[in-house]
Amino acid sequence: MSKKNNYEAADSVLIRRLYYFFEPYKWWALFAIVLTLAAAFLGTVRPKLTQIAVDDYIAFRDVDGLLWIVFLLGLALIGEFLILMLNTYITRWFGQGVLYSLRNAVFEKIQSLHVRFFDKNPIGRLITRTTSDIEALSELLSDGIVNMIGDLFRIIFILYFMLMMSWELTIISILVLPFLFYATFWFKSKVRIAYLDVRDQVARLNSFAQENISGMAIVQLFNREEKQKEKFEGINADHRNAHIKTIFYFSIFWPLVEVLASFAMALVVWYGGARALMGGVTFGVLLAFIQYVRQFFNPIRGLSEKYNTLQSALASSERIFDVLDTPNEVGEAEKPVDLAYVDGKIEFDHVFFQYNEDEELVINDVSFTANPGELLAIVGATGAGKTTIINLLMRFYDINRGQILLDGVDIRDLSLHTLRSSFGLVLQDNALFSGTVHDNITLGNTDITRQQVIEAAKEVEAHQFISKLPGGYDFRLRERGASLSMGQRQLICFVRAMVYDPKILILDEATSSVDSETEELVSKACERMMKGRTAIVIAHRLSTIRGADRILVMHKGKIRETGSHQELIGKDDGIYRKLYELQYKEQDVGATPIA
Amino acid sequence: MFLTASNFFLVWIPVLIRRTMDEVEALGTEFSNEYDSIVTVLFSSDAGNILAFNSILLIGTVALYGLLLFATRQTIIISSRKIEFDIRNQIMDKLMELPQRYFANNSTGEIYIRTTEDVARVREYFGPVFMYTVNTVTRAGFIITMMIIVNPELTFWALLPLPFLSAFAYWVSGFINKYQLIIQEQYSRIAGKAQETFSSIRLIKAFNRTGYEQKRFEIESDEYRKKKLKLDLVESLFHPTLNLLIGASVLIVIWKGGIMVIDGLITIGNIAEFVIYVAYLTWPVASLGYTVNTLQKSLASWERIDNMLSEHIDILDDETLQYEKPHKVIGDIEFRNVSFKYPGSDEYAVKNISLKIEAGSNVAIVGRTGAGKTTLVNLIPRLFDPTEGEILIDGKNIKEWNLKHLRQSIGYVPQETFLFSTTVKENIAFGVDGASMTKIEKAAEIAQVLDNILDFEKKFETLVGERGITLSGGQKQRTAIARAVIKNPEFIILDDSLSAVDTKTEDAIMHHLREQLNNKTTIMISHRISTVKNADTIFYLHGGSLVETGTHNELIKREGRYANMYSKQLIEQELDQI
Repeated sequence: MSKKNNYEAADSVLIRRLYYFFEPYKWWALFAIVLTLAAAFLGTVRPKLTQIAVDDYIAFRDVDGLLWIVFLLGLALIGEFLILMLNTYITRWFGQGVLYSLRNAVFEKIQSLHVRFFDKNPIGRLITRTTSDIEALSELLSDGIVNMIGDLFRIIFILYFMLMMSWELTIISILVLPFLFYATFWFKSKVRIAYLDVRDQVARLNSFAQENISGMAIVQLFNREEKQKEKFEGINADHRNAHIKTIFYFSIFWPLVEVLASFAMALVVWYGGARALMGGVTFGVLLAFIQYVRQFFNPIRGLSEKYNTLQSALASSERIFDVLDTPNEVGEAEKPVDLAYVDGKIEFDHVFFQYNEDEELVINDVSFTANPGELLAIVGATGAGKTTIINLLMRFYDINRGQILLDGVDIRDLSLHTLRSSFGLVLQDNALFSGTVHDNITLGNTDITRQQVIEAAKEVEAHQFISKLPGGYDFRLRERGASLSMGQRQLICFVRAMVYDPKILILDEATSSVDSETEELVSKACERMMKGRTAIVIAHRLSTIRGADRILVMHKGKIRETGSHQELIGKDDGIYRKLYELQYKEQDVGATPIA
Repeated sequence: MFLTASNFFLVWIPVLIRRTMDEVEALGTEFSNEYDSIVTVLFSSDAGNILAFNSILLIGTVALYGLLLFATRQTIIISSRKIEFDIRNQIMDKLMELPQRYFANNSTGEIYIRTTEDVARVREYFGPVFMYTVNTVTRAGFIITMMIIVNPELTFWALLPLPFLSAFAYWVSGFINKYQLIIQEQYSRIAGKAQETFSSIRLIKAFNRTGYEQKRFEIESDEYRKKKLKLDLVESLFHPTLNLLIGASVLIVIWKGGIMVIDGLITIGNIAEFVIYVAYLTWPVASLGYTVNTLQKSLASWERIDNMLSEHIDILDDETLQYEKPHKVIGDIEFRNVSFKYPGSDEYAVKNISLKIEAGSNVAIVGRTGAGKTTLVNLIPRLFDPTEGEILIDGKNIKEWNLKHLRQSIGYVPQETFLFSTTVKENIAFGVDGASMTKIEKAAEIAQVLDNILDFEKKFETLVGERGITLSGGQKQRTAIARAVIKNPEFIILDDSLSAVDTKTEDAIMHHLREQLNNKTTIMISHRISTVKNADTIFYLHGGSLVETGTHNELIKREGRYANMYSKQLIEQELDQI
């Protein structure tokens, strides 16, 4: 019981929070409700008008009066048509408006969240939050609420008109309502259970199909075709039977509703007929009641359906608000420091870090300093923690212990904007988007002119190849830049970093091999870029960092060796030397001609 | 049948109402104000009897109508479900027989849609479409006949708006179908935008571009809203227009009918009758438009299903082979100038390979990613047939082997471990009928996964996959090995199946395998030198060609690619130990 209360409380909180997005449209919603009221009136007044037509004019053979009523009827009809149309459109319009802002809010929130959030939630799930979960609210927001109100109005108006004409007949005609309610209730509960079963069976069927299609090679290799066919037939039969069960309820319910409606009509005719004999009830009233009885059933059915919509919409909105409520682990400092000028000094002071609490330390007591203008290289085997250093520097994650300082300021005190715009970052995966080369370089920043882009491109010697592309800087890249070579993609990423003229350059070298021609281009570009900047290079190709001021050799989360290339290569049993040999082998394998 | 009959009864409802009203009118002139209590009228007068009789007739008719409607739904919709069942079984049967070529050519999602959505659409053809069509035809037939009998002129007037209704419904449902595709596309665009942003979140954060991405997303989001609103506009036209046209019908009946009553041509009861007729006709007429559109979609789906069902199966036993008795397999494999291209690809995945594997030997295939190793072993159980050249087992082309028998003799552990979402037990016993628990445990033991399984709370009954527990990569691989071992195959193929297993366990597995599968031919693909160095023969593939063959020592002496790979791994090992 208390659990149920909790649910209800949670539901009302959800509704209140949804209302926040609804707020800007509240006057429109009010207008829509007024329109609904009008439409409900015009829709329900028509049988009343027919009654008048029959009793007051047809009965007295008054053709002019009949025409007048017909004219009124036509007016009500057209009026209802226009209002209904306008109303439906308005409600859909603001419904879409609410969905639009909700969708944007979810997107904005997810985007702002810390990187760890993205590690923990598969991208598919995040996409679902911004798309289908929002869509699930669509029905509720676009017509659900307003229609519910409309249905209520309709019922009230019908009752009002009926009572006005004859209270006795009203009672007679609503005699069947308890049965209808009971039938609807029975149907809903049965169908809900049956549908749960159907949903399970559909899921079973689909996952079996999905699984066997993906694993068809296994099925065939193990000669299991016949067995799996049999299994599928079983699941398929369960699926069919579950549906047949719902069909049973449907085929009872709909005829039953028809029968009840007709039964109500029969009652009206029976009782009303007798009443008519006594002169209390006219034929027009009878005619009107026959129409009302039919009209009455629709809103009642409508209301019970809307209830289900409401339920599923609330489930979705719960998931949406879950995302909106996620606290940001890497947030802006309370009083963020903005640096007017960045020198480019970076210090790691006894930094400890692990990605997840129960995992090993990825960065284990790391300290180093990169002075302005220095070239610092970090090398190490895969998994040594090199890329993590960048992740920490950019504050994609916050460290567990120690301090990272930029120009002597703890990066957690800096504004995220200052921090991140001090770095020119070239990531390992050469992330390019579908779009023009220009857009890929500026990332949509319209403050950057074409001239600036060209200058930056010339600096890393990318201008030449870009100009040769059809359309030059306006050449449209396919997704992930698939139309370009690896080296070309990397050069574009260089230009992207350079166009902001950053004080500190961070390079996470691509691991995939680049052909030797572009390799040279890329190395040259690197050299030029690093001139006059602090640079931190995660090197996979050791050839690029021979000229580094200092090389840090990372191994299993720790800095194991430090020195220049010459110093490190001289150490006989050193890690750097082994890495160097390994790389030499790698290149060798690539170069051996095919025997 | 039921439907026709039920519509037949439906028609009588308005007739009875009219009759009652007319009779009441007639009676009314005879004895007005004669009774002082409604109860007397209802229960103890001639008029009351007439009324009661008519009402009971009415209720009887309604009940019969309802009963028949029930029967209709039960028969038509249920048989549509049965047809759906049959079609889906047929599709699955076909899928099980189709060669891997088909699965390589068509995306999993695409094939999946055949078995789900397309079948559902075809069902609609046999179910709702059929039902509505029959319903519309019979109902309209009866009602219109009835109406004409009563008064042809009024019938004409009352029916005037209905053709518009049908045409309108057709137009609207057509528009909705078309527009839903457009909206679906925009919806994917939004999802695509979210995907792009979320998957490169680091870059976006690093360059402070969240604002810009937000703007781009909002543009797509807005576009979606606009397109949706266009559809909403048409949808918001639909119900009101439906309402308007029906209302127009009623209005015309009252108008024209009213004048006719005044002229004494018909009675007020007739008006009531017509009003009900029009109400009965509305839905069938409107559904006509919907039906036509659904029909079109069903046919398109059926065509796709039909295409799939008539797909040619090229890897299949001919009749003589089909009934061939299994015979003893010795285990020699020979590749003769085998080349293979994947369908739709211009490049050879495997180029002119000739090699011999002796029965009972233990061979290894090594090489870089994409060298053609997996492709090569896939040809042995005929997942694909070579484009050129031939493969022989015991001196006989594998195309002349009974396919089931061939596959039965191979224990295959694929590179990407695929387990079904059932229990561990069923996964291991997948390839054998009625495997005993001892056999299952034995297989698990050989694959070194027994201890892990016994550690699970439900042991062998543990569910694997989404609804159960997530096995680690190594556990999955070992379960897959157990699945292959339990078949007691003549050949065992391990396609990089130990990559997620540590070296110690790997040694144990290899040891057990060799012991258990004594004299069985073992082919393994591996990246680890430690795994392959004890093999009788090592084949090094590069770019689809066989470039080096020999034992570990021979190849090391050659100082070629294999030797290079070896020394590289040695250094890596050393590094790891620091």
